[in-house]
Amino acid sequence: MKGNLFSAAAAAAVLIGAGPAAAQGIFVGHMADYTGATSDVGKPYGQGVADALAYVNSHGGVNGKKIEFETVDYSYEIPRAIATYKKWTGSQKVAAMQGWGTGDTEALVTFVAKDEIPYFSASYSGHLTDPSGKGTHGSKPAPYNFFYGPSYTDGCRALVQWAAGDAKKKGIASPKFVHLGDNHPYPNAPKAACGEYAKEMGFAVVPPIQYSLKPGDFKAQCLSLKESGANYAFLANTGGSTISLLKSCETVGVDTQFLGNVWAMDENALKAAGDAANGVVFVVGAADWKSTAPGMATVREISKVSDPSGNQYRPVHYMRGICSVYYMRDAMAVADKAGGVTGPNIKKAMEQMKDHVPAELQGVCIPSTWTPEDHRGTTTVFIYRANSKGGAQSIEKIGESVIPRKPEWLGW
Amino acid sequence: MATTSSALIPCGQYKTTYRKDTTIFPTPATRAVAIAALVLLCLAPLKIGGVELLGKYELNLLIQIGYYGIAALGINILVGFTGQISLGHAAFFGFGAFASAWLSNSFGVPVFWAIPLAGVLTTLVGLLFGIPAARIKGLYLAIATFAAQFILEDFFARAKWFTGGSAGTLAQPFSIFGYEISGDQGYFYVVLAYVVVMYLLGTNLLRSRDGRAFIAVRDHYLSAEVMGIGLTRYRVLSFGISAFYAGIGGALFGHYLGYVSSEAFTILLSIQFLGMIIIGGLGSVMGTLLGTAFMVLMPEGIGALSRGLGGVFPALTDGLAFVKEGAIGLAIVLFLIFEPDGLAHRWKMIKTYWKLYPFSY
Repeated sequence: MKGNLFSAAAAAAVLIGAGPAAAQGIFVGHMADYTGATSDVGKPYGQGVADALAYVNSHGGVNGKKIEFETVDYSYEIPRAIATYKKWTGSQKVAAMQGWGTGDTEALVTFVAKDEIPYFSASYSGHLTDPSGKGTHGSKPAPYNFFYGPSYTDGCRALVQWAAGDAKKKGIASPKFVHLGDNHPYPNAPKAACGEYAKEMGFAVVPPIQYSLKPGDFKAQCLSLKESGANYAFLANTGGSTISLLKSCETVGVDTQFLGNVWAMDENALKAAGDAANGVVFVVGAADWKSTAPGMATVREISKVSDPSGNQYRPVHYMRGICSVYYMRDAMAVADKAGGVTGPNIKKAMEQMKDHVPAELQGVCIPSTWTPEDHRGTTTVFIYRANSKGGAQSIEKIGESVIPRKPEWLGW
Repeated sequence: MATTSSALIPCGQYKTTYRKDTTIFPTPATRAVAIAALVLLCLAPLKIGGVELLGKYELNLLIQIGYYGIAALGINILVGFTGQISLGHAAFFGFGAFASAWLSNSFGVPVFWAIPLAGVLTTLVGLLFGIPAARIKGLYLAIATFAAQFILEDFFARAKWFTGGSAGTLAQPFSIFGYEISGDQGYFYVVLAYVVVMYLLGTNLLRSRDGRAFIAVRDHYLSAEVMGIGLTRYRVLSFGISAFYAGIGGALFGHYLGYVSSEAFTILLSIQFLGMIIIGGLGSVMGTLLGTAFMVLMPEGIGALSRGLGGVFPALTDGLAFVKEGAIGLAIVLFLIFEPDGLAHRWKMIKTYWKLYPFSY
């Protein structure tokens, strides 16, 4: 019977596949979002991580040992991320993980702490920066969470600093600040802390406006923005929805200065948004593709892993993915010499890094420091502006900000 | 008459009492097989003689089948047995998860009691959203439950006191009388116990007076009303009971993951629950479990298939995520075309074929 054969084949497939492969080397689990709500930025970052891991393997690995990695696209669905995590930890010894989103990273904080697996996320939520839970704002301990780059909150603070200077230059007496983002852990991460900092810097903080992570028509939100009279608006979503918002606001005619978080604007988003994105100031956490830093030679070699012609232009997120892998590799190399590539050893190695830049990536990654009490790798924020006038598009660095490492800002 | 062949499927209707007619298992053989399977499941996670039948990965899959199966039985009672429609089941599932976490975090209720209490709280919510069911049917009821889905989803994202807002909330691990059960092995037994209890309760419900009333409401509500079965009462009751099952399933889900967040309970999950019972068989308790197992194991099967065929069809590995998404929809469509009564019916056909072999025509 047809039904019989089909079900038998399916059962066989499940049974064959269910036997997990035991890893001999160093296993790194890589979770990416290639098809979900944040896939517009998840693709370049995930590509950077995958390419960097492949490149590390073909150029010496970790003291000669190869990194075995598996890339899983979890479509930004937290339950799938957790199921993947359980599958990996159930079938082999996981040395470390390269993760992605805020929702699943924050969900896995207790799991990775219990299983002692260092988790390098692409979520820069301030809530992940407090390893011992001693932060004054009730942050839960995240001892095994690391991320390369300035946190969302520090990025927002740097933009507020820039905006304060800009307001003074423009002579705006009492500037208004507003937070735009979806009601979701990732856009919400910097909302409270950044609002407080904006108040400290003399801004009047207007009630936040919500716009979905999924692209759509946001003219209603733009009208609210216009009515609120906000001078500076922080965009907390990723590029896809931000493009829609900028285009809607251009149609409505809003003259607010937009400040984008690290995922809100990149070269691809600039191309799609066109002149609507002119003047958007945003956070960048590593060198951009056009940089002439010595480390960019390595980055271009890594890019050839998935683009042999070497002609593809990589957006800013690609470099951060590479940096995330290389910091992990450096920690693994130290751990290997200190008794083996295990979770606690990698954590200890990460927490010994002081103003560290991977040797091959000089000038690409920002010097980062982690300590057992403070997992804010770097508080240096690069501020860029997007320019687009009649087809001529570019991004230029307009400043660099070093946010003070205040203890009361830990985990927040 | 029923002595020597009592273990086999009888070749006619030989039951002489109603009691014999409404047994849960049709024959002693099926009862023995079910009990044997249960014993096997109890022993499988243990390391006996150095052999562990179920590793962490398989336990994870079985636990998923367990809590989704409980919630799926809830929606099968509602859709398959009472003939209503609900597009808001994921919201009740989520409410159970949040309620259990809230009870154990805010009031210190031990998780052992928090799970059934969460089921009760979810029942109240289900009864509330089931009130429209008393008067509207079909597509309009679907939209009303659709509204319930979005209302509850928004409530989850905003009610910081209950759910922790959009950031979600941590759920404590399961503990019995102070002894904490951590790890998949222990939790597997918890979920197995709940599945057995909930499924027995469900089957019992369906052979009781209220269960027969549900089926009457489904089959011909006008006749049921004429006979004296209160339509309002039984429709709302059905919503309440299905919400109870969803709440228990959700609570088990929450305590398993250790973290509950509102984005796990979207309309897509509601549709997946409907998919589970359509594939498994509307109006069949065993079918619910089969359908849930199918929905949980299929993405894993496709992943395994792509790993095996990845060398021959590299496009399969690249587009795996798309294939997984598409496969669920394709499975639902194919089942509706070729096997609308679901896996339960297909299984019955297989058993009948072998029972009547070689005279299966």
